[in-house]
Amino acid sequence: MAMRNAYVDQFPSEARLISAAFWSSFLALAIGGSLGLVQALHRTDYLRFIDSVDYYTVLTAHGVLLAITFTIFFLVGIFTWAVTTSLDRGLEDLRFSWAWYAMMVVGTVLVGVSILGGVVDSIDMQADVLFTFYAPLQAHPAFYVGLVLFVVGTWLAGADWFRTWWAWRGENPDERIPLPTFMTLTTTLFWYLCTLGVALSILVLLLPWSMGIVDSVNPLLSRTLFWYFGHAVVYFWLMPAYMMWYIMLPKLSGGKLFSDPLARVVFVLFLLLSTPTGIHHQYLDPGIAEGYKFIAMTNTMFLLLPSLLTAFTVVASMEHGARQRGGTGYLGWLKALPWRDPVFTGMALAGLMFAAAGFSGMINAGMNINYLVHNTWWIVGHFHLTVGTAVALTFMAAAYWFVPQVTGKQLWNRSLALGQVLLWFVGMTFMSNAMHRSGLFGMPRRTAEPQYQGFNFEPAAGTVGEINAQVALGAALLTIALALFLLNMVMTTIGGESDAIPDNTYAGTLSGPEDAPVVLDNLKLWTAIATVLVVFAYTLPLASIIDAGGLFGPGIEGFQLTIGIDPAIVLESVREVMP
Amino acid sequence: MRISPGALLVVIAVLVPFVVEFRTALSWFGVELSVLESVALAGVLVLGLLVWAMWPQNGGEMGSADSN
Repeated sequence: MAMRNAYVDQFPSEARLISAAFWSSFLALAIGGSLGLVQALHRTDYLRFIDSVDYYTVLTAHGVLLAITFTIFFLVGIFTWAVTTSLDRGLEDLRFSWAWYAMMVVGTVLVGVSILGGVVDSIDMQADVLFTFYAPLQAHPAFYVGLVLFVVGTWLAGADWFRTWWAWRGENPDERIPLPTFMTLTTTLFWYLCTLGVALSILVLLLPWSMGIVDSVNPLLSRTLFWYFGHAVVYFWLMPAYMMWYIMLPKLSGGKLFSDPLARVVFVLFLLLSTPTGIHHQYLDPGIAEGYKFIAMTNTMFLLLPSLLTAFTVVASMEHGARQRGGTGYLGWLKALPWRDPVFTGMALAGLMFAAAGFSGMINAGMNINYLVHNTWWIVGHFHLTVGTAVALTFMAAAYWFVPQVTGKQLWNRSLALGQVLLWFVGMTFMSNAMHRSGLFGMPRRTAEPQYQGFNFEPAAGTVGEINAQVALGAALLTIALALFLLNMVMTTIGGESDAIPDNTYAGTLSGPEDAPVVLDNLKLWTAIATVLVVFAYTLPLASIIDAGGLFGPGIEGFQLTIGIDPAIVLESVREVMP
Repeated sequence: MRISPGALLVVIAVLVPFVVEFRTALSWFGVELSVLESVALAGVLVLGLLVWAMWPQNGGEMGSADSN
């Protein structure tokens, strides 16, 4: 038998943990992704087999399972790989590691069952509160408890990575932090910082409120605490994708990472700026002064810098790789890249889509122009390019490399994998383009019934019918791509062991850590500055919100979407807008 | 072939967003393409791409043994 040096050969116990995390992620992807098709066909009126009232249950499950469960289960696997591989040592205590994984699973089950209760009568729960769980929408306490368990599970996972690094540092006091570990630790630090907000929101406000311990909540306070976490969570998903672009794409291209110091600067900037930006999701919220929103906008615009640095570094690394493979010319080197490789192509196309997402993100981030697209389908188009493509497509492409690494089994069908990543790219093009365009003429998001009587939307190009067709087509292609991905993963996993697994390595660097100022590795310093920025951005807005509405709000009672709708309340609401 | 089959597939996939966005961009200049016209345009572009990709680099010796 040839000497194989895959991850599973180096760290067999950790490989089992990562494999379990990946499969938890894929299960969430399968359920959440399928529900996406149900919504797309329902909204566009092509196929309706659920009640429109149940749309919110489906939407909640789609959002939570994909934005939280799929992404985070996958990234804890990637980060565990990154720390163990780059430090060349296993986790400190596997029982502890399985404990945080189990906690995340229990949390997911609680959340999932409470959402499912919205459509299954025998489950006496509901959580039709969408991914954002805005008050006064109220979920069953199990939903909030599940979220807390899940987040605490990720905190413990972070502690696990830190423990491993501390143990390594004890033996290597003069060494620089290896880049993959550095990326993991900086990401974990801002995750700790930002999840404090959502933990406060749930434990102090929403959970006691759902259990009847307190009678009321301050909706604006809970929304602000949600977005304190809600924008940084975007970077929690994105950082592992960035990590893949930095340390895998150059290697797959046949070269080395252009600059290790620049990569460190980028991750430090994300640690500093991910959290004090959340208020840009609340430009239309009354009760927050414009000045605070302006500060959030400024911080958000600064976040473009690390993304542009990333675009430069990653493309430069790919060009270096292509030239090592014989590529020449100003653009001719592109032909020398390994486009036949689904891992490379999936990640490269995900990066390309992320550039488009960056442009629409700038529009979302601008205070004035945001008013045009706020709460429209534009926003949904935007985040299907970020989390739905930059993250999801990178993760799927990465899985084609990682699953063989953690199982010792060769990818079942490489050609199918290439077709799958291309199909995802094309499907998302159709769907997100139509969503963006419909947002420009004001078509709302978060509704099963976007049409109004006596009013016609006026698209700039084409018709509403064409836009709906484009969304339905895109969603169908994405679902086929999803099925192909899962088929490949299942067939790979049930296949036999192979000796032909590539070595477990990541990209070398043209400019290594020795070129980076030592201060970049001072995690305490960056965490302190990040904390100060958060204090600057949030202290006054939060104080003002509490001052105006009280900690528990002015008698805001819970509202549950699917547990009986009182006709009197509906009539009262209609009278308010149509006297 | 001028590019590998894998790269050709990728170029065709990347063509899709350009065609889709091109339709929107043209409408700003008062040129309204129907869905069928857009599909036809995409077909012509893909065909042109295939011909370019398959055409031998030295111009006139398609199919000859030394065309690579």
